[in-house]
Amino acid sequence: MTENVVRLDDATFTYPGGSSVGGFDFAIGRGEAVALIGPNGAGKSTLLRGILGLVPLTHGRMSLGEPVGEASGPMADAAARPVTAKHSDRGMLGFLPQSMEFDLDFPISLEQVVMQGRYRRLGLLRWPGRADRAAVRHALETVGLEELAATRFGQLSGGQRQRGLLARALAAEPELLLLDEPFNGLDQPNRDALVATLRRLKRDGVAVLVSTHDLELAQQVCDLVLLVNGGQLSFGPVADVLTLGNVQRCFDGVEVEIDEHTLVVPGHEGH
Amino acid sequence: MSLGEALFGAFAVPFMGRALVVLLVLAIVAGVVGVLVNLRGLEFISDGLTHAVFPGLAIGLAIGGTAGVLPGAAVAALLGAVLLTWLGRTGVTTDAGIAVVLTTTFSIGVIVVSRSDDYAGALEALLFGRVLTIPPSEVLPLVVVSVLALVLVALTGKQQLFRAFDPAGSRAAGDSPFGLDLGLNIAVALVVVAGASTVGSLLVLAFLVVPGAVARLVSVRLWLLFPIAAVFAALASWLGLAAGFAASVGAGVDLPAGSTVVAVFVLGYAIVLGVRLLRDRFARGIRSEHRSVAGTGERTA
Repeated sequence: MTENVVRLDDATFTYPGGSSVGGFDFAIGRGEAVALIGPNGAGKSTLLRGILGLVPLTHGRMSLGEPVGEASGPMADAAARPVTAKHSDRGMLGFLPQSMEFDLDFPISLEQVVMQGRYRRLGLLRWPGRADRAAVRHALETVGLEELAATRFGQLSGGQRQRGLLARALAAEPELLLLDEPFNGLDQPNRDALVATLRRLKRDGVAVLVSTHDLELAQQVCDLVLLVNGGQLSFGPVADVLTLGNVQRCFDGVEVEIDEHTLVVPGHEGH
Repeated sequence: MSLGEALFGAFAVPFMGRALVVLLVLAIVAGVVGVLVNLRGLEFISDGLTHAVFPGLAIGLAIGGTAGVLPGAAVAALLGAVLLTWLGRTGVTTDAGIAVVLTTTFSIGVIVVSRSDDYAGALEALLFGRVLTIPPSEVLPLVVVSVLALVLVALTGKQQLFRAFDPAGSRAAGDSPFGLDLGLNIAVALVVVAGASTVGSLLVLAFLVVPGAVARLVSVRLWLLFPIAAVFAALASWLGLAAGFAASVGAGVDLPAGSTVVAVFVLGYAIVLGVRLLRDRFARGIRSEHRSVAGTGERTA
């Protein structure tokens, strides 16, 4: 039995606007990787943002390491008991957002972007010290970009920027790494580098939750699959969950083909 | 009048010395805060704050005379910062919200000033400052207000830069967008307060906007932007005061000090922009020369 890094019991996350995804009942242990698979708009990003604390937990419970949150606040329903989530416990999270839009002229170096991963640990008052610079260097080495540390972020290629943002997530030295569609638009070398990095992280005991349309990746890197469409459909080992029937049900009405490597879903980028 | 006399001798005169001290402190702080204003694209919010402070100046003057100006401005600035930050969160189109606040507060200020005996004189002092007639007792409060703005920015600086670069990432890392925006808006408001009594509530915008823009033209290294903006602002303030002094004492042309300083700011920006454009053109020239040489090489190979 592995130690759980994150655990959700019948958890529902609801945006203040009212849209919600729910029924999440799963746990991820140290060194385990979970592929989060579902059609666009299925709630994959909402789940990731919910774990980050950006979308309120309105039903059930969620624990990160130790219990940190039960649904609370005005949005919570009767079944939830109010317990305050401690903000500091989220320091163990690393997050790679879906392809981010930013100002390419922004005067900031790769190294400085990666350092932002340390800010949650530093808080407002402390400035980066030796340990933080070492963590940044290590994160850059992990993604193979140490040579480009001083390069302005806007001058990097798209794939390098994506790896740089992964390094930022790693600089937080996370126990749980959340990745939102990290393989979209990556060329083969950058994709291979990302796969290698994720494998190494798993060996180091990091838990990974990665949303993707890439079944090959799910099979190469992930132990478990979480199928989502408006909520959790099924969760379990790759071989058990990733069956044609399950995937067709998940992508409901969309024509899906599945062979040993690829999931062909019309309208989706990547594999 | 010799150049040395204008640049150095002038500031031996007590009122010129006081003006220099207050303007240098304001310039350095406004330069640093202005880099964040530039990176966040908050120029229009800053403009809104300069107008929001105006009724505070006017009411302060009406109640407490000259001594009431600074406290009045401080209260108005804090209220304005909270109001504009809150407006930015409510989904009211930010520009529309700022424009409403800006015109409303400004008209309130004009109405208050219009009740005073010396309407034109009071309005002019509030709008265009009175840097050469700052009483000695007001130097310290102005310096304190400026330093408070600097402390606020120093405390939240790295998180402000994170939010400027990647708002979603900053939020995901647990930073409160409202808290950061409020902190920065209050820092801008404090600069406006310090500037309103010196260069006036309208021209202080130049202190917040021009040095940051100059720094962006000069460097792409993040932490260099702050000293570049501060040094530029300080240098331009000094030269502006000296130029105004030389014109009025040496040539008998009575230039308003605040406006002269701002004119030097804009002149400095124009010079830096010109140099930058020339440098870019020169760099492009060299690159295309390289290309054509390489092209020739390929053809002959």
